[in-house]
Amino acid sequence: MKIRTVGRHAREGMRNLFRNGWMTFASISAVAVTLFILGGSILLSLNVQNISLNIESQLQINAYVSNVVPVKALPALEKRLAHLSGVRSVRFVSKVQALKQMKQILKSNADIMTGLGNPLPNAFILNAVNPQQTAAVAKEVQSTPGIESVQYGQSFLPKLLTIMNVARDAAVILIGGLLILGMFLISNTIRVTIFTRRREIEIMKLVGATNGFIRGPFFVEGTLMGLVGAAIPSVVLYELYRWIAQTVKLFPPFTLVPYPLVITHVVWVLVACGLFMGVWGSLFSMRRFLRV
Amino acid sequence: MIEMQDVWKEYGNGVAALSGISVRIAQGEFCYVVGPSGAGKSTFIKLMYREEKPTKGQIFVGGFNIERLRERQIPMMRRHIGVVFQDYKLLQPLTVYENVSFALEVIEASRKTIQKRVAEVLELVGLTEKANMLPRELSGGEQQRVGIARALVNKPSVIIADEPTGNLDPDNSWTIMKLFQRVNDRGTTIVMATHNRELVNSVRKRVIAIEQGRIVRDQERGEYGYED
Ligand SMILES: Nc1ncnc2c1ncn2[C@@H]1O[C@H](COP(=O)(O)OP(=O)(O)OP(=O)(O)O)[C@@H](O)[C@H]1O
Ligand SMILES: [Mg+2]
Repeated sequence: MKIRTVGRHAREGMRNLFRNGWMTFASISAVAVTLFILGGSILLSLNVQNISLNIESQLQINAYVSNVVPVKALPALEKRLAHLSGVRSVRFVSKVQALKQMKQILKSNADIMTGLGNPLPNAFILNAVNPQQTAAVAKEVQSTPGIESVQYGQSFLPKLLTIMNVARDAAVILIGGLLILGMFLISNTIRVTIFTRRREIEIMKLVGATNGFIRGPFFVEGTLMGLVGAAIPSVVLYELYRWIAQTVKLFPPFTLVPYPLVITHVVWVLVACGLFMGVWGSLFSMRRFLRV
Repeated sequence: MIEMQDVWKEYGNGVAALSGISVRIAQGEFCYVVGPSGAGKSTFIKLMYREEKPTKGQIFVGGFNIERLRERQIPMMRRHIGVVFQDYKLLQPLTVYENVSFALEVIEASRKTIQKRVAEVLELVGLTEKANMLPRELSGGEQQRVGIARALVNKPSVIIADEPTGNLDPDNSWTIMKLFQRVNDRGTTIVMATHNRELVNSVRKRVIAIEQGRIVRDQERGEYGYED
């Protein structure tokens, strides 16, 4: 394609955008709103995930070893636990270390322990690969011979994860619907352009313009709508996220995913989605309304 | 140049517009297509530039087998054909010059070619002076000359015209006819569907008469033959 042709398509495409001002505005708004929600959801879920990771790092499984297990059998038991499916890490805490920790916690009251010997068992501290499987992993650990009892944050974790899953599913459905609506609005706007320019199109076909040439401006029109629709929420989310990161004071485990990196990624996702909506919208309308 | 072999055309609604047309038109011929209203003349014309597809039969135009044409070849085929309409089909917001140059711009001709060719054809149709006027500022005859200029600008080997004088008074019709004559003298084939009895009878050319979708007469230096 000649450079002059590209220039012509760009010019004509822009002109089309301004000619149906209101429809263009509606389409771009729909894309912008959709992508704002999409971007917002991504940021939100990344942060919830981050927070739950923070929490989860404290959500370990404590497996207490039965007193009958001899010390020399402990490495074998550790190996066995490490090989259970879904286990990310295993750390051994001997009864001696446990007592030390206990005394540290009790501090000045540590002397209440004297005379008791060491009542604490040897223990393994485990983490699941997938936090959602903590309960399942704990069950497996429990049924391992040599483990007397198991403890983990049973009550809190499943609830959090269920809420997150429901929220995610709802967001996916909402965003999916909005994406389709946006693409439909873009293709409808282009359909109107095709209609208002039908005489030109008729002459173009008559004198032998190629299909690609005839479609060029409409393609530009759709793509621009998608890109502008992506640019608006990108800028808004970028500034908003920066403002939150700089202004709102947060404490662990409630911390934000670091600001420049994540927002850049989200912006790229939005631009890609906007581009996709625009390209798809124009292809769809041309397929239906620009047959030779 | 143009050849039809046993061509049938039935529209989607079941109307049989053409029933077994076979005809051959040589390069450089000037040919009228006549017949009563609804006979199939426009259909005959539309098949030639593939506005419509035949239901059956083969059509060749300038070396292209219209039937076998792939979608992407259609534009290339149309660059060899100039089409002229009764209602001119000019773009109202564009000037005379722009209406003509449009035809070359959309096939990505070079700027130089466009300037040269548009000037040439406007000179040929006698509208150089009115190049910057809009279609609505022109008379019907002048508008049709713009339409012809646009059809000619890409140097087609054939001009196909569907009642080009249908909206014009006798004087303007004569101007258009003389223009076609000059174009034909330079070797361009002309096929012209018309109801203009005077024209056909005074400028004698080959006459193809169609009635109810069939060729009923094909005559060198023929006459119009109908009373309308
Ligand atoms: N697009 C179409 N769909 C269905 N039927 C059509 C279509 N175009 C034409 N016809 C029918 O085909 C027949 C031939 O029409 P055509 O336009 O070729 O006639 P014509 O000879 O050009 O007539 P006129 O002299 O009035 O222009 C007519 O019966 C007409 O009703
Ligand atoms: Mg007709």
